[in-house]
Amino acid sequence: MSVLTILGILPLLGALVVATLGKSDARRAKLVALITSIITALYAILVAVGFEIDRPGFQFIESREWIPTFGITYGVGVDGLSLVLILLAVILVPIVILAGWDEAESGRWSAKTFYILILVLETMMIGVFAATDLFLFYVFFEAMLVPVYFLIGGYGSGERIQAAVKFLLYSLFGGLLMLASMIGLYVMANDQIGKTFDISALSRLEISSTTEHLLFLGFFIAFAIKAPLWPVHTWLPDAAKSATPGTSVLLLGVLDKVGTFGMIRYCLELFPNASRTFTPLIITLAAISIIYGAFLAIGQKEIKRLIAFTSISHFGFIVMGIFAMTTQGHAGAALYMVNHGFSTAALFLVAGWMIKRRGSSMIADFGGLQRVTPVLAWSFFIAGLSGLALPGLSSFVSEILVLVGTYTRYPVAAVIGGFGIILAALYILIPVQRTLHGPTTPGNENLTDLNLREKIAIAPAIALIVLLGFYPKPALDLINPVAETTIAKVGFTDPVPTMGSER
Amino acid sequence: MTVFNTPTLDYGALLPILIVFIGAVIGVLVEAFVKPAMRRFVHSLLTPATLLVALFQVIANRETVTTTAAIGSVVIDGPVIIAQGSLLLLSLLALLFLLDVDSFAPEASALPGSEEEKRAIASGKQQTEIFPLMLFSISGMMLFSAASDLITLFVALEVLSLPLYLMAGLSRRRRLFSQESALKYFLLGAYSSAFFIFGAAFLYGYAGSITFPEIRNAVIASAGNDVILLIGIVFLSVGLLFKVGAVPFHAWTPDVYQGAPTPITGFMAAATKVAAFLATLRIFYTVLDGALWQWQLILTGVAIITMAFGSIVAIAQRDVKRMLAYSSIAHAGFLLTGVVAFNKAGLESSLFYLFAYGVATLGAFGIVTLIRDGQGEVTDLNRWAGLGKKSPAIASLFALFLLAFAGIPLTSGFIGKFSIFSAAYEGGLQSVVIVGVLSSAIAAFFYIRVIVLMFFTDSSDSSVSVTLPTRRSSIGVWSAGIVTVALGVLPTSTLAFITDLAIFAR
Amino acid sequence: MESTITLTSNTLLYFVALPLFSSALLLLLGRRADRWGHILATAVAGATFVLGLIELLAMVGRDEYSRAIHQKVFTWISVGSFQVDAALLLDQLSICFVLLITGVGTLIHIYSIAYMAEDPDRRRFFAYLNLFIAAMLLLVLGDSFLNLYVGWEGVGLASYLLIGFWNKKAEYATAAKKAFVANRVGDLGLSIAIMIAFAVFGTVTFKGIEEQAESASQAAMVAIGLMLLLAAAGKSAQFPLQSWLGDAMAGPTPVSALIHAATMVTAGVYLIVRSNFIFDNAPTAQFVVVLVGAITLIFGAIIGMAKDDIKKALAASTMSQIGYMVLAAGLGPIGYAFAIMHLLTHGFFKAGLFLGAGSVMHGMNDEVNMRRYGGLARYMPITTVTFGLGYLAIIGVPPFAGFYSKDKIIEAAFNLGGSKGIIFGSLTLLGAVITAFYMTRVFMMTFLGKKRWSDDAHPHESPFLMWGPMVLLAIGSIASGFLLYSGKRLEYWLKPVVDKHGHSHEEFLSHSTVTTLALSAVVIGVVIAIAKYRSEIPSTAPDKVSIFTKVARRDLLQDDFNEAVLMRPGQGLTKVLVATDEKVIDGGVRVVAGAALGSARGLRSIQSGYVRNYALLILLGVAVLIGAIWVITA
Repeated sequence: MSVLTILGILPLLGALVVATLGKSDARRAKLVALITSIITALYAILVAVGFEIDRPGFQFIESREWIPTFGITYGVGVDGLSLVLILLAVILVPIVILAGWDEAESGRWSAKTFYILILVLETMMIGVFAATDLFLFYVFFEAMLVPVYFLIGGYGSGERIQAAVKFLLYSLFGGLLMLASMIGLYVMANDQIGKTFDISALSRLEISSTTEHLLFLGFFIAFAIKAPLWPVHTWLPDAAKSATPGTSVLLLGVLDKVGTFGMIRYCLELFPNASRTFTPLIITLAAISIIYGAFLAIGQKEIKRLIAFTSISHFGFIVMGIFAMTTQGHAGAALYMVNHGFSTAALFLVAGWMIKRRGSSMIADFGGLQRVTPVLAWSFFIAGLSGLALPGLSSFVSEILVLVGTYTRYPVAAVIGGFGIILAALYILIPVQRTLHGPTTPGNENLTDLNLREKIAIAPAIALIVLLGFYPKPALDLINPVAETTIAKVGFTDPVPTMGSER
Repeated sequence: MTVFNTPTLDYGALLPILIVFIGAVIGVLVEAFVKPAMRRFVHSLLTPATLLVALFQVIANRETVTTTAAIGSVVIDGPVIIAQGSLLLLSLLALLFLLDVDSFAPEASALPGSEEEKRAIASGKQQTEIFPLMLFSISGMMLFSAASDLITLFVALEVLSLPLYLMAGLSRRRRLFSQESALKYFLLGAYSSAFFIFGAAFLYGYAGSITFPEIRNAVIASAGNDVILLIGIVFLSVGLLFKVGAVPFHAWTPDVYQGAPTPITGFMAAATKVAAFLATLRIFYTVLDGALWQWQLILTGVAIITMAFGSIVAIAQRDVKRMLAYSSIAHAGFLLTGVVAFNKAGLESSLFYLFAYGVATLGAFGIVTLIRDGQGEVTDLNRWAGLGKKSPAIASLFALFLLAFAGIPLTSGFIGKFSIFSAAYEGGLQSVVIVGVLSSAIAAFFYIRVIVLMFFTDSSDSSVSVTLPTRRSSIGVWSAGIVTVALGVLPTSTLAFITDLAIFAR
Repeated sequence: MESTITLTSNTLLYFVALPLFSSALLLLLGRRADRWGHILATAVAGATFVLGLIELLAMVGRDEYSRAIHQKVFTWISVGSFQVDAALLLDQLSICFVLLITGVGTLIHIYSIAYMAEDPDRRRFFAYLNLFIAAMLLLVLGDSFLNLYVGWEGVGLASYLLIGFWNKKAEYATAAKKAFVANRVGDLGLSIAIMIAFAVFGTVTFKGIEEQAESASQAAMVAIGLMLLLAAAGKSAQFPLQSWLGDAMAGPTPVSALIHAATMVTAGVYLIVRSNFIFDNAPTAQFVVVLVGAITLIFGAIIGMAKDDIKKALAASTMSQIGYMVLAAGLGPIGYAFAIMHLLTHGFFKAGLFLGAGSVMHGMNDEVNMRRYGGLARYMPITTVTFGLGYLAIIGVPPFAGFYSKDKIIEAAFNLGGSKGIIFGSLTLLGAVITAFYMTRVFMMTFLGKKRWSDDAHPHESPFLMWGPMVLLAIGSIASGFLLYSGKRLEYWLKPVVDKHGHSHEEFLSHSTVTTLALSAVVIGVVIAIAKYRSEIPSTAPDKVSIFTKVARRDLLQDDFNEAVLMRPGQGLTKVLVATDEKVIDGGVRVVAGAALGSARGLRSIQSGYVRNYALLILLGVAVLIGAIWVITA
């Protein structure tokens, strides 16, 4: 049995233990969930240590028949890319549990249910990245929606139900389009190489160009909704606003990455030609997302929606990097996924604490927190700086990689994306100024600063932001090989320095 | 002088049908000779026993393949075995809900609200004919799925339909409404039967024979281009499409599903579809295959309209039974894609889908029987609000069935959708697949609405409650739930079983 | 050209690491470090200065082509052909800056101990100062554009934190944000430059690009050059990104002295000089640089004449002086050395002037309006003298520092030759006149004339910790110019870096002529000022003034321009987009959902409940099917 399978089972076991607890016993449920997630994280790190960077292809492979009638296997395995994303997920879960220690209380159901949902979700997050069988991936991709749906609808705030439904319908719609494409692939595989859902096998199919384009769209739209990319993004702000901070962190930090991850693993590898055809269009959409998301963020009055829109802008960068079809762009995009995960997590958790303390999520209600709650203010500020990609913090490395990687092939798009740099300063510093600086406004005088638990929760996130900023090598070592092979598979090679000859 | 030689019957092959039929007859005798107090008890033993015995016989027959079981008018082959098996299993499941006391009128003949009805209720009388009727209907279904000439087909059609008409009118509450729906069902049924027999006549006139094999040869001979044949095809199809509830022959479905006693609705939805679709598949796959390109396009159109219509209209429903009715229309559309696929995968996936869908449907209707207030079942969706709080387990089960209808992975519905759509795609009908997934998306919309109602909306009135399900009903819903998940997670054995058997004998 | 050898070193890291570490320490320890935080910070600053001196001595010891030393700390980013090391390069150019930053930095640390003594957050202030030192040193030591970028934004951050140090005042917070955003506009230029550089040369290290510079296409070079200029304009408050500097005076005065006068704002000049290999191959870009410099030097000078706020007046003068440097840097090999020379001398006297201003404010309860000063010479003699020396230096009176450096720039400008030479030359002269005028104005309004302050102010000389540094800087303002100039010391020193090929420049105007012109310019300026401000000065700014003055007081409408052309439209666009997202995009989705529901309601009407309608429907269905099959087969 592959270590990945064990890794995936761990949270489930935790969930089972929680299920056996009494309904009223919220405290125990929390502890069990926290301990489980920590064990899972440690085990995942252990697994990562055993990963051989220089070995191409998937590692820790396991493949057993599941539904032979359709050639479906339970197939798992990781390459550098899926590994870093799994690490991101399993590291965020304990942070989220610890940070949102009491957020289950306000929910519609018992805290117990909350932690069961979280742990089940963790299993699915691991599975969706580890799957090497398209069908298995799809199962996780869709099944994931259910726990998230109940997490938003059951424990969120405000118009949580509408938000949950909106999220679910958007995702289902995308998922069903993807199902159609998947069926197409399956049938073609059946004709050419026999029934299979193995990614590497499927990537070798001969597909007529029109069909390939349609199938590609099926997948891409699903992933674009997940990511989300303009103009199919409108579910995200609502969901992020209504969900508990913890849920939003998993939503923005991990679940959305499934979209960008899918673009790399499935869109590019299964449909190289179609990817080439659609690249200009997608690059354009990405550029729009960057600018559009930034402007929308600047225009927000509600802090959670603001963060959601900054994410849309950042996803623009990620998608741009992916479809720039250069090693730098790809590595940058992959790294961006990780960095965005941590910095958004930090930003959102701190915002959550601010909102909890103040009892309002409107930016206008805050003011001068820097003097009242210095630690909280600093945490927010540093997370924000990472959000505006300040050099020395993690996001900068990925952003500059995406930009240089894009410029070599799509200079205009890169320059447009560059304007995101200016807007980022605005959408981060405006809320920083309104909430942290200036005179301490009424209602904020007696807010309490972060307590020990909260400090412990936020510390690893911020530490990683700084570390990966100064020393991104560990992450890049995992990502680079994947970036190079993917580019090669799609049939691109990095442009050579032009000496400005044609520029 | 001509020698009259007695027809040879392969009783072994026919036994399942005969067993159920005999069971039904015995049931009637029970009604005649057992004293009222005892009847119900006797039936509650006799009916399941009959079905079980028949089931064993079916299993025993699973290797049998014969087209001459009854001088060429009945064919027993893999698909029939599967269909009859599913029919019996589904009927057993339905029986669990049927056996619950108070779904049916105490005395059908008594005028609603009349004195004698009151007396009947007081006396605790019960309309136990329901059980033999059900058995008759089942035997008709089993025959319908096995018939291999037009007359047998028609007779079977009537045998399965007439008891249903009756049963539909036997609801204990809102009896007028129930009787009205029964009458509608009967009138329209008769109407469509007329088309059916008319079509059969045309086919006979065209082929000069009523047996499927000879009709087939004739079709192939003329490459299917013959006005009489085409008219025959259309009229015959109308009869079948009416039974499966495809648009625009669906109009009866919502009214009848709503009016009929809920356990009967479940039984109809699940079992009738199996029988009707197997007959449809057999006719289009093995009889009219020569005229493929004449009918495929038309049926494709019907399938598309049916999927879309069912899904869209369901959105606007306020009554859970009507909602399920429209979802069953949508599913009829999905199943038709299996027919138009016209390949082995189409047959296999349809058979799987029929069973999976039948189980989920029975489970769903079974739960409807449990949600009650003082007057009886509560089918107004808005009053289902907050069910998740009152009875998480039952609400979750219902949610599970809805998710299965929506085709969410890890439920039987997903495997069904996947297999049937891939069959259609394989059959070169990408357009159908696209419409299929889009309708599924729309369908999801109202399944989710119900889930929201149950889990995220607070109950408006406390009168609604979940009756402690009797052991039978709870066994029913839970086993339905388990099967739904099992077929979603580990469908292999079932699929393999179907794959081996799903070959039409000609 | 002779090849330069670069020795490797392992000490450079300390320049950055020490202050960064102490800064982090002070921030993490929080209040616990309040007692000794400022001492540690100052000690660290001093230590880096000593390090710098040591390196300088070592450097002087080596022959001129093997003076640069390099340290690779670790591989920072490595993706495909995009290889960037975290590596530091110390050569003749960067050592000048290292010494300026650490030297002036140390003095200002010391000064601040006293200046910030009363402030409860003094520790945090020193933490920021150290952060700034670290970032600024990284900026000048980075061996590639990307390393430079890190320092570049680092100093931006430090400046943001320090401008907003007293952000309790809302408008200070705004000023900080404004500075950061304006800088970000510049950073966009820098990052685009980096993108192009990588696309064109496949590397972003100075060395790597320099080696290929000749072979690259003009267009690319011009593009990179202009982008770098944009970056420089943002950092160094050059036209059109100058508007933030005035507001930046919100920060504590030592900050204005160190960051917004002596060091950070001159980073733009460093960038241009450092990128000489790009500009030398991009004449068009070079010309734009000169142009920007010229515009800014006049622009700033004009604003300087109108300001009553002593710090804003000095800020305007900074802007204008940097204009000189940029102009010089735009002149190419002729100018680089003079740009740096003026940068260094300016570092001394402008820092001195600001500290003087700080000292005055210290004695006047933080009053900044010069109309409320007057006759302070009596009360703060030391300040008056040091300030006075700085004043003489900046207006360019021989033998003070400014005289040499500015003089050379004017000369070089004329030596452009032709109409260009005449135009830019005379602009620099004009600048000199105005400088002389407004600095005289400042000096007179502050230290001479009658007292105009209210009685609750008790002007007094500042403590030693404050005037000590002022004195040292004053000495610098006297001596530095001659030291750097005599025997073309600085020119020869920098030659291996900025002027490998050795340039020939024909004299357009003789040295003596230029000197005469320059001096007469100074005299004119001073005379006018004295004539104007000898008489009584109203203690509130007269509002019956020429439109010209009004405009000048409003910083030549720079903010009004930005507001009208950038801010307003930006806010408008934001509003529009927010509405679009709500109404159009999300609305569109809702419309679809609504349509589905509507059609559902519509179709439901088929379900009339009447059997006859159902039967009719079936009949219609049959008809359609027959029609369809007929169509198909016919």
